[in-house]
Amino acid sequence: MKQNNLILEVKDLRLDFNTYRGAVKALNGVNFKLYKHEVLGLVGESGCGKSVTALTIINLLPENAEVKGGEILFKEEDLLKKSKEQIRTMRAEEFATVFQDPMTFLNPVLNIGTQLEESFMLEKKALKAAVVAQRSQGKANINYSEFLAMKGKEDTILTNETKVSGKEIKKMAQNLCADVLRMVKLPDPERILRQYPFELSGGMRQRCMIAMALARRPSLFIADEITTALDVTIQAQILHLMRELRDTIDASTLMITHDLAVAAEIANRIAVMYAGNVVELTETREIFRRPLHPYTQLLMKAIPNVAKPVEKLESIPGTVPDLINPPTGCRFHPRCPYVMPICPTAFPKTTQPFKEHEVACYLYPQG
Amino acid sequence: MTNKETRTSELQATIADIKYTLHLLRQNPLVVIGSGIAIFFILLALVANLIVNPAVANQFNFSRSYLWNNPIISWGPLARTGGPPAQPLGTDGYGRDLLQMMILAIPLDLRTAFIIVAGAALFGIILGAIASYAGGIIDEAVLRVTDIFFAFPSLVLALVFAALFGRTLDTLTLAVLFVWWPPYVRLIRGQVLAEKEKTYVEALRAMGAGHLRILFRHILPNSIYPLIVQITLDIGGVILTFSALMFLGFSPTPAIPELGNLASDGITHVFDAPWLILFPGLTIVLISLAFNLVGDGLRDVLDPRLRR
Amino acid sequence: MKKMDNTLTVKDLKTWFPIKSGIIQRTIGYVRAVDGVSFNVQKGETFGLVGESGSGKTTAARSILRLIEPTGGDVIFDNVNVTKARKSELLKLRHKMQIIFQDPYASLDPRQTVNSMLTEAMRVHGIVSNKVDAHSRARELMGVVGLSEEHLYRFPHEFSGGQRQRIAIARALAVNPEFIVLDEPTSFLDVSVQAQILNLLKELQTKLSLTYLFITHNLAVVHHMSNRVGVMYLGILVEVADKNEIYNEPLHPYTYHLMAAIPVPDPAVQKKEVLLPGDVPSPINVPSGCRFHTRCPYMTEKCVQEVPPLFERTKGHLTACHYEIDFQKGVRLNEIEYGSSAVKG
Repeated sequence: MKQNNLILEVKDLRLDFNTYRGAVKALNGVNFKLYKHEVLGLVGESGCGKSVTALTIINLLPENAEVKGGEILFKEEDLLKKSKEQIRTMRAEEFATVFQDPMTFLNPVLNIGTQLEESFMLEKKALKAAVVAQRSQGKANINYSEFLAMKGKEDTILTNETKVSGKEIKKMAQNLCADVLRMVKLPDPERILRQYPFELSGGMRQRCMIAMALARRPSLFIADEITTALDVTIQAQILHLMRELRDTIDASTLMITHDLAVAAEIANRIAVMYAGNVVELTETREIFRRPLHPYTQLLMKAIPNVAKPVEKLESIPGTVPDLINPPTGCRFHPRCPYVMPICPTAFPKTTQPFKEHEVACYLYPQG
Repeated sequence: MTNKETRTSELQATIADIKYTLHLLRQNPLVVIGSGIAIFFILLALVANLIVNPAVANQFNFSRSYLWNNPIISWGPLARTGGPPAQPLGTDGYGRDLLQMMILAIPLDLRTAFIIVAGAALFGIILGAIASYAGGIIDEAVLRVTDIFFAFPSLVLALVFAALFGRTLDTLTLAVLFVWWPPYVRLIRGQVLAEKEKTYVEALRAMGAGHLRILFRHILPNSIYPLIVQITLDIGGVILTFSALMFLGFSPTPAIPELGNLASDGITHVFDAPWLILFPGLTIVLISLAFNLVGDGLRDVLDPRLRR
Repeated sequence: MKKMDNTLTVKDLKTWFPIKSGIIQRTIGYVRAVDGVSFNVQKGETFGLVGESGSGKTTAARSILRLIEPTGGDVIFDNVNVTKARKSELLKLRHKMQIIFQDPYASLDPRQTVNSMLTEAMRVHGIVSNKVDAHSRARELMGVVGLSEEHLYRFPHEFSGGQRQRIAIARALAVNPEFIVLDEPTSFLDVSVQAQILNLLKELQTKLSLTYLFITHNLAVVHHMSNRVGVMYLGILVEVADKNEIYNEPLHPYTYHLMAAIPVPDPAVQKKEVLLPGDVPSPINVPSGCRFHTRCPYMTEKCVQEVPPLFERTKGHLTACHYEIDFQKGVRLNEIEYGSSAVKG
C-alpha cells in the first residue's frame, strides 16, 4: 500500500571522491525511501555524507566525484543512468534545492523580482497554460495554489490554436512572483520584488530562496541546512513556514540538518547518518522514544537538554573516521560501546526489529 | 622530542608542502616547459665563464665583423662569410663570435635581473607591509608616493636617473630598481590588509603579541604566495626592460656583452647582418617567456582556495 | 556581593562605531553596538551572555578585553580599570584575561606549528626562561587538553575542528590566565565534539579556578555551562538572572520568546507556538524608549516613550521591562514601580 506512495528510493549508493591523498569513500551504501508528501530528516554530523547524498541525487557533484554503485530511483527511473542533460531538465522541473547561505546563492546584482521571475520563466509552457486558464475563467489573477494544481495538466489546457503573447506570459510570471512571496509569508511582496538581496535580512532571504524553489512546483524539495545560519527566533519562523508548506504543497522534502532538534520540529521520519551510511531510520517520535543504534543513543545524550540538565555531557569517544582509510565493516565500531567481534567484518544488514523502524547494527537480529 | 627532532618534523611538514606544490605544477605542460627553459638558462649562467673565456669580450678583430660564418647553414647571398674558426651564429661589429658573446651575456642579464627584482621586492614589501599595517597617515603618505612613481613610465624615469648619476652598470641597475618597487607595495598592501582582519591576528593581539611580531612573524609569511608569483614574473619583465635600456643606447660601455646591447648594434645592419638582432632578441624573449610561464603556473597553483 | 568577590565588573560599557560619509568623512551617525551594559562576574563562576546576531554580545566581549576600544564605560578586572589602563599596563593584564574564538579554522596561524604557538605565548609573557622549560610545559599543556606530544609538531590544517579548539584552549592556558572569554567556542563544532569540548572546559574551570564569560546563541549550551545568564538585545542587557530562573521564569518578553523558539529534541513535548514577528531593528536607528517595543506583543505607549532601566525585580533577577507579564495567559499585568533609584545589579 505504501509502495505507490514512494517517490524516491536510494539503494546501496556508493560514492568516492578522488583526491591527491587517495579516494575518500564518502558514501558507503546509502539506503532510504522517501514517500510522497512527507518530510524526511537526514541527520548527521559533518562528514557523514548527508549533503553529498542530496547532491548526488540532483547530480551537482564536483569533478572528482565518482559513483561506485547503487541506484537512485526517482518515480521508478534510475537517475544514475540518465544523461547530464536529462538530469538538468529534471532539476528545472522536478527538483528544487535550497542551501544554507542565502547570501551566496542569490545573485547580488539582480533584484528579487528578476530572479524569481527567472524561476517561473523556465517553464514557459506552464505560464501559457496559466494565462489560458485565467482567460477561460475570466479571473483577475491566477494564484499560486491554482498554478500548483495545474502541474502536469498543461497539455489538456493548451490547444494548437491558443495564442499567448510574450507580454502576457511575463505578466503572469510577475503576478505569480508576488503571490508566491505571500505564500512564504513575506510582508509587502511588491516592495520586496524591487529590492536587492543585500537589503533583506537573513530570514527574508531564506524565504525568497524557498519561494524560488516553490516556483518550480517541485516533486522533490531538498533543504540543505537551511536554518543553520539563522538566529534562533528566525529559525523558528522558517520552521513554522516549512510546517505549513508541508501540508499545502505537493512535494516531498528531504530536510538535511546536523541539528536533531530541528529535524524533530519538522520531519515525519528521521534518518540518522554516520560516515557514509544510514544507520537508523524511523518515525520521529519513535526515534526519540526508542533510539536503537548506539550512535543515535550517544548522539542524543551529547546534546544538552534544558529540561534534563546534567553535570557532564556524554560525549562519543574517539573522533570522526578518516574516510580515506575508513574502519572496516561497521564504520562506527571503533567508537561503539557495544562493539563485538563481528562488527569489523562487514557492514551489517539493515533490519527492522520493530515495525517501520530500520537499523543497521549487529546488536539486532540480522535475520 | 629534542630540539633537533622538532626541527626535523617541522622540516618534514614543509617538504611535504613543497612536494604537493610540485605535484600540481607537473600537471601543467606549459609550466613544465617554462621551468625547463628557465633552469637551463640559470645553469648556463652558472657555468658561462667556464665555457667561454671572459677575456674574449675584449678581443676585437674588425676584419671579421658582421660575418655569418656557419659552415653548415647558409644565410643566403647577402651575408658575407669568412674562413675558420667557425662562428655558428655569426659575428658582431667587433668581430667577436656572437654565440660566445651571448653566452657571456646571460649571467650578466640574469644576475642584474635577480638583483633588481630582489631589491625592489624587499624594499617594496617592507615599506608596503609597514604602511598598510600601521594604517592612517603613514599608509596614505606611502600610497601617494607610490602613486607618483607609478605615474612615470619606467623607461623615462630610468633615463633621468641615468642622466643624473652617470652610466655605469650599477647606476643603471639602480635606475631600473628605482622604478620597479611600487607594484610590490600595492601587492603586499592588499595581502596585509586582508590578513590583518583575520581571527588569528586578533588572537595574537589578545595573547599580547606586539605589532612587529605580528607583522613580520605571522602576517608576512602568510602573505608571501602572491609575491612569489610576482617575483617570478618580474624576472622576465626586468630582463626585457633592462635590455631595452641597453638597446636604446644606454649601455655603460659599447662593447659590453649584454643581450640588449648586442641587439642594438644590429639596428644599422638589419639587412646585411640580421642575426645580430635576431638571436639576442630571441634569447631575451625566450628567457622572459620562460619565467612568465613559471610565474603563471605558480599563480594557479598557489591560490589557497585551490589547494587540497 | 562584596566588590572583592567580583573578578570582573562591567559598568555602563558602550561601544559605538562611527559611520562616516562624504569626501571629508563626516560622521553622520553611529552603530550603537554596545549601548550601556553593566554586569558582574564573580570569581570561579561562569556568566553566560546570550543574544542573537546584532545583539552586541560579541562586540561587548571584545570591548571588555580591549580588542576593540570601547567608547564609554568602565571595565574593572581584579581591581584594575582595564578601559583606562595604559598600553604597558594592558600587556601585563593580557595574560590574565584570555579569549577562545568561535572559528577554530581561522583563529590559528596556518603557518605555525602548535609547539611554536604555545612557546610564543609563553615567551611573550616571560612565563618561562629557556627552551627546555618551554618545551616541557608545552608537552604538559597538550596532555591537559587531551592531545598528545606528537601533535606539537603539526600544522593547524592537519587537525579537525574539535582538535583545533583544544589547541586554542592550550594556547590560552599557556599564559596562566584567571579569566577566559569564550566566544561561541562550540558553534562550528559537531554535537559530539561540542560535548567533549564543553566537558573539558568545565573540568579545567574546576581544576584551575577559572572564571568564564561564555558567549553563545545556543540556549541549551549556555544553560549547561553557566551559573548566571544575561540576555542581550540590540546592545543592552534586557534580563540577568540565575540560569534556571531565566529558563523557567523569564520576566522579559524577549527572553520568553527566545526560550520558546528553541527547537526541542523531543517531539513528545508539546510546545506552544509563539512566534516573534519581524526582524531585529538596525543598531543605527535604535527604537525609542524600550528598544524591544517594535516587536513586543505587550507594548504600550509608555514603552515607546520611556526607557526601562535594568531593575532588580527579585533577588538576583534583573530585567528591563515596564510591566509584569503573565506569559502563559499572554496578558500584561501591572506596571512596575521603580522606587527611588533603579538598581543596576
